[in-house]
Amino acid sequence: MGSIALGRYIPLDSVVHKMDPRAKIMAMLIVLIAVFFPSGWIGYAVLFAAASLMILLSKLSVGFIWRAMRPMLIMLVFLLVINALVVHTGPVLFSIGSFSVYLDAVLQTLYIAVRLLLMIMITTCLTATTKPLDMTLGIEDLLKPFEKIHVPAHEIAMLISIALRFIPDLIDETQRIMKAQESRGVDLQEGKLKEKIQAILSLIVPLFVSAFQRAEDLANAMEARGYMPGEPRTRYKVLKMAGRDYILLACALITAVGIGVLAWAV
Amino acid sequence: MEQIRVENLCFSYEEGTRTINDVSFMIEKGMYVTIIGHNGSGKSTMAKLLAGLLEAESGKIMICGTELNEENLSEIRKTIGIVFQNPDNQFIGSTVRDDIAFGLENHQIPQAEMDGIIEKYAEKVGMTKYLNSEPTHLSGGQKQRVAIAGVLAMRPQILIFDEATSMLDPQGKAEIKRVIRELHEERDLTIISITHDIEEVAESDYVLAMNAGTIALRGTPHEVFANEETIKAIRLELPYSTQVGKLLAKYGVNVKNHLTMKGLVGELCQLHSKM
Amino acid sequence: MPIAFKDVSHVYSAGTPYEYRALDHVDLEIQEGKMTAVVGQTGSGKSTLVQHLNALLLPTEGTVYILDRTIDANKKPKQLKSLRGDVGLVFQFPEYQLFEETVLKDTAFGPKNFGCTVEEAEKRAKQALQLTGIGPEYYERSPLELSGGQKRRVAIAGILAMDPRVLVLDEPTAGLDPAGTASMMKLFRRLNQELHKTVLIVTHDMEQVYRYCDEVIVVHDGKIRHQESSAEFFKDAHLCNEMGVLPPSLIRLEEMMREFGFAVPQGIVTEEQLAQWIAQEVKNHG
Repeated sequence: MGSIALGRYIPLDSVVHKMDPRAKIMAMLIVLIAVFFPSGWIGYAVLFAAASLMILLSKLSVGFIWRAMRPMLIMLVFLLVINALVVHTGPVLFSIGSFSVYLDAVLQTLYIAVRLLLMIMITTCLTATTKPLDMTLGIEDLLKPFEKIHVPAHEIAMLISIALRFIPDLIDETQRIMKAQESRGVDLQEGKLKEKIQAILSLIVPLFVSAFQRAEDLANAMEARGYMPGEPRTRYKVLKMAGRDYILLACALITAVGIGVLAWAV
Repeated sequence: MEQIRVENLCFSYEEGTRTINDVSFMIEKGMYVTIIGHNGSGKSTMAKLLAGLLEAESGKIMICGTELNEENLSEIRKTIGIVFQNPDNQFIGSTVRDDIAFGLENHQIPQAEMDGIIEKYAEKVGMTKYLNSEPTHLSGGQKQRVAIAGVLAMRPQILIFDEATSMLDPQGKAEIKRVIRELHEERDLTIISITHDIEEVAESDYVLAMNAGTIALRGTPHEVFANEETIKAIRLELPYSTQVGKLLAKYGVNVKNHLTMKGLVGELCQLHSKM
Repeated sequence: MPIAFKDVSHVYSAGTPYEYRALDHVDLEIQEGKMTAVVGQTGSGKSTLVQHLNALLLPTEGTVYILDRTIDANKKPKQLKSLRGDVGLVFQFPEYQLFEETVLKDTAFGPKNFGCTVEEAEKRAKQALQLTGIGPEYYERSPLELSGGQKRRVAIAGILAMDPRVLVLDEPTAGLDPAGTASMMKLFRRLNQELHKTVLIVTHDMEQVYRYCDEVIVVHDGKIRHQESSAEFFKDAHLCNEMGVLPPSLIRLEEMMREFGFAVPQGIVTEEQLAQWIAQEVKNHG
């Protein structure tokens, strides 16, 4: 537990936590687009400053961002090796025998690393400060305009929130079935391939059976409480934009436009 | 006043085996009815038919004088609430508050009124303290109380408990039975409880004992449990006090048929002091 | 002394904010050949306790001795698998562990995992199914098609087919109707008395404990609160009341009669005896 930082909600009391999820999602998308503008190091410095400010305001720790970033490191090392092999422009940094590493190879990798870091910082500002349920509400609202072209916004949101609701239950269930089968001599770590397949089956089949049972129960419970897909319903949780949300959006827009201009000028 | 009338109801999950076979009964408004029967006798199917979650093969279900059919299903369903067996699988919201709100949203209650309704019914089941709690932090009994609040908030006239206590620990069972008792005392609701709990049955006004998809016995708890032979034949138990009464008769002490221990001990006291 | 806990603790998620001590310095001895009830409120630690018996959980402190094996907190245990064959653990709602195509195959799954040949495993499976009252007409059916009660019996047969010396059952009668509960409890008593298996049952149902179990272990807050013979435990209602559970009907009836002024003597342990005593009382006054 606690090892996965990417995408996890961290319950803290900060101004960013209080912001409207719709504003946060929109701001994130706008700034993410800006990350892809080729605005050079100055642009990245600006974006880094902006993202750092948001993280500061969210009261998240640097360690948390680092933990979110860590799984990406292997990918970056891999990328560096590939770049070193294929990029042959710019001055030679150093040579090992007949093999030379060029400056551009390192620069290009660094470019990608910086972009990746920025993207993780920006998305973390959203995911770590927004409860999963508020996120689905935000997504539902933002998808509303697309209902005209038959995007089932409400159904998508309901689907996500039910999935989120039942993930802990399914994890418990999986652990219980694992223990039950281990009690019948199933060895999940060792054994031959054939035994392994059987071991996995002994988990998957019961898990499916119970998930279907759960789904049926849930469908009955929802129907009994008057839920009809496609029928109009009111909503208990209503999102309201406040001054700070407009400020966030404005800042995001200014940053993105600024970066865009910078990229165009370069 | 008649509230539920079931006439010649039949239902099958698979062809050839009738789960509900030609069942008829009538329930009056404000009554507390228990349905008993061994597992597989058709009780839960009966509950789902009444709640409009399954469609009958033949026969009629009349709720408040209106026959249940496909057109009025969603209207009639508003008058019936049902609490299911598994506390986890009927908790839909991410917190207690959201879960009670779920039904209100479906009935298009204006958002401004929701908090008042949610708080009222959370209080009724004693869950006010937990309004913002997530289901993983609640006991089974607490989850079931939330389910009851969620159903009550929709203002039904009929409330069905489909083995709502069978997956709970003794404490949870006691909590739910207390809530049912309190609701019954208010006499606003017609309560139908499907249960194995003989003590709960003894408290109810009317009993339907099911076996193989039919109603084997019906009447007040006293009337139903007077049929010792049939009760045993359909694999049910007699109330404890009745069992002790039978043993007493064997040793020459004749007591009335009691459903509760208190009644039995009361009569023994009288016998004792008279002599 | 086939099963003993020496100063055993179990801490979940140690070192995190979720740290939770489910067992707290438990010392316990369980005699072989008895039928023992493990009781306690939800969250008392009783499920954690029984999962140590076949090493699904390992102690985080202390030592567990099970059938000549020693499981120490700080050592990686050996012979785990053979232990799991000797201590059969049936989880709550075991019907959710069925997965094979046929009842017979599912029941034979356990013994096969412990190295039995297919023939031997099926032979044992058939014996176990017979014990639990599942007839040959069900062998080739899918376990998923059976009724709830039958599924439970097949699942329990799946553990019995491993021929364990100790059988541990976590709330085996939860969700069954009274008739199903009674026949299940009779099966466990038969396994205990005729096949001499040590049986441990985790339960909330004092009626069953009173009627079928020799010993009672009360777990409370991760500690063993009481361990005594069933007769001693149910001498009166006070231990049940202390635990916050409903005492067995007979005990409640006796207590109520005492409250109403009857001098019900100690040592009446069946309804038959009580009825006889009442008849005597009534006659004496007459």
